[in-house]
Amino acid sequence: MATTPQATATTTHNPARSRRANALLAQLRGRIGAAVAARVVLYILLLFFVVPLVWTVSASLKSRDELYKATPSLITLHPTLINYTYALRTLHNFGYLYRNSIIVTIGAVLLQTSLATLAGYGFARLRFRGRDLIFYTMVLLIFVPKAGGLMVQYELMNFLGLRNSLVGLIVAFSAGLALPIFIMRQAFLHLPTDFEDAAALDGCNRFQAFRFIMLPMVTGAMVVVALFEFIRVWGEYLFTLTMIDDQKKFTLGIGMVQQFTGPALEFGQFTTYGGQAAAYIMAAAPVVLFFLCLQRWFVRGLLTGLKL
Amino acid sequence: MSTTTTNHEPTSENQGANWLRAVRQLRHERGGESLAGWLFIGPAVILFTIFNAYPLIRGIGIAFSDYRYLVPGHEPFTGLDNFVEMAHDTVFRESLSRSLEYMLIFVTLNFIMAFLVALLITQIRSGREAGIYRVLSYLPVVLPIAIAVLVWRQLLNSQFGYIDYFLRHVLHLTHTPDFLHDAHWSVPALATVAVWRAAGSSVLLMLVGLYSINAELYEAASLDGAGWWRRLFKITIPLLRPTFAIIFVLGAGVLGATEESLVFFGITDAGPSGAGRLIGRYSYETAFLKGDLRWGYAAAMNLVVGLISIAISGVIFRLLRSGKD
Repeated sequence: MATTPQATATTTHNPARSRRANALLAQLRGRIGAAVAARVVLYILLLFFVVPLVWTVSASLKSRDELYKATPSLITLHPTLINYTYALRTLHNFGYLYRNSIIVTIGAVLLQTSLATLAGYGFARLRFRGRDLIFYTMVLLIFVPKAGGLMVQYELMNFLGLRNSLVGLIVAFSAGLALPIFIMRQAFLHLPTDFEDAAALDGCNRFQAFRFIMLPMVTGAMVVVALFEFIRVWGEYLFTLTMIDDQKKFTLGIGMVQQFTGPALEFGQFTTYGGQAAAYIMAAAPVVLFFLCLQRWFVRGLLTGLKL
Repeated sequence: MSTTTTNHEPTSENQGANWLRAVRQLRHERGGESLAGWLFIGPAVILFTIFNAYPLIRGIGIAFSDYRYLVPGHEPFTGLDNFVEMAHDTVFRESLSRSLEYMLIFVTLNFIMAFLVALLITQIRSGREAGIYRVLSYLPVVLPIAIAVLVWRQLLNSQFGYIDYFLRHVLHLTHTPDFLHDAHWSVPALATVAVWRAAGSSVLLMLVGLYSINAELYEAASLDGAGWWRRLFKITIPLLRPTFAIIFVLGAGVLGATEESLVFFGITDAGPSGAGRLIGRYSYETAFLKGDLRWGYAAAMNLVVGLISIAISGVIFRLLRSGKD
């Protein structure tokens, strides 16, 4: 890029052949330079994403002496697990919080993925009156302002007797179906109809064709839906906070915030910085691991699915 | 549709073909699959209607009433009163302008980060390496919001946080701000955390857009002697316009953001002299923390914020489309 004018300037006095060689050389040098520059800029930008995570991991592994040194290092020099044992000992209800988060997340993921897959198939492949009207209404409603917000949800959950219960959370989280149904419908639309025709020829009814022929071919899209829901539910905070009163039914998010913010903690901060970091790592670990295991599917599914 | 009546004898050779035709014909009959269709979509549609569609309608209804949750049976229709009150409510105006500032910082930072990171990732030849960078930028998206915000609180801590250390000892600044307790920094800090949490999704969206640009365009441009920058401005950016529109519109959605502020400063404390009170937070306080719990007024605020956000999206769409050739 920047080297091209230079190259033409120096080569004007040389014979044609060496001029071409020089130009090529300069071009090559420019290209390598550009590639290195691109990489350096990319690394600097990625620091923004990575440093907070690295800092938290290393803080959780530092002993108190190392944590409060005048010049803290980003990488732990003498790793210790003391913060983890400390966090497990001092956190109230850590076991409960973990268990509740797992129950709600797995419940919501299973329920929502099943419902969205069934509905996606119905909207993509079965013909009946009002089908497209219902589907497009669902999609359009995404853009209507949620004026009622948590208030109407509160009222509704109260009315249904689902407030302050983990089952209530599962049902309410599963109901966010517009995007999952959209993704699943798209996946079924991409499959050729010949498969079902063949299945019908062999005497399959609709449900058998769905179960044995179509379902195995959309597992990629199902993984995308399940992963989105897992991330959303595991990380949910405000809805759970509003719906759950009972300490025993708290999930990780609200349990953490309750214990790690507020003026009372400013004093205690000195002793718990590393312990907090350890607790954050433990709370985030399941969703991070889940994502890392499935990310290949996820990215591929998104890259193909979003092109539409 | 179903007029393909054939008079062939059902010989053994074309029996299969006839079967197939019959099956197709059945499928294409209107309403022929009503029962199966409703069995498939029914559960999802019912759940969606109860928990998503109904609350939308009910919410808009509440916005035009003086519904107070703690006063039993108090839900009188008051027309536009809530909206008139809003116009005179200084806390509302201050919170809204904070939210606009928050949105502006978010949209700008998020766009720049996502565009640069995605663009630079596409320059990397090795697919495996590019995959690693994609995952790294997406990791913060995966984290629970509470954890993400608390991690940033630790980072921004003026005594033990890494950012303060970095500013003091690497950049050699003498006066470092106390990000958590300085009112000027409340909104930028919240916006930065939000960008950290969201930029990974935007990177993925950008990558989808970038990967779908036909590589032949670049080859043809290179043959014509167009350099990297020229290709960037003449091919990449114009063709990414729809992606930009999506990212900006999603960005306009953060106007009503509530959770970051609630976690960052705690439920009851709106930050140093209230500087962390975004409009979503004010609505939450009105609905769940203050006095009679004025749900009508809070719903009206949400409605106004939603409409502003839609209006901004509309402007963005128009701007990005009008530039199209």
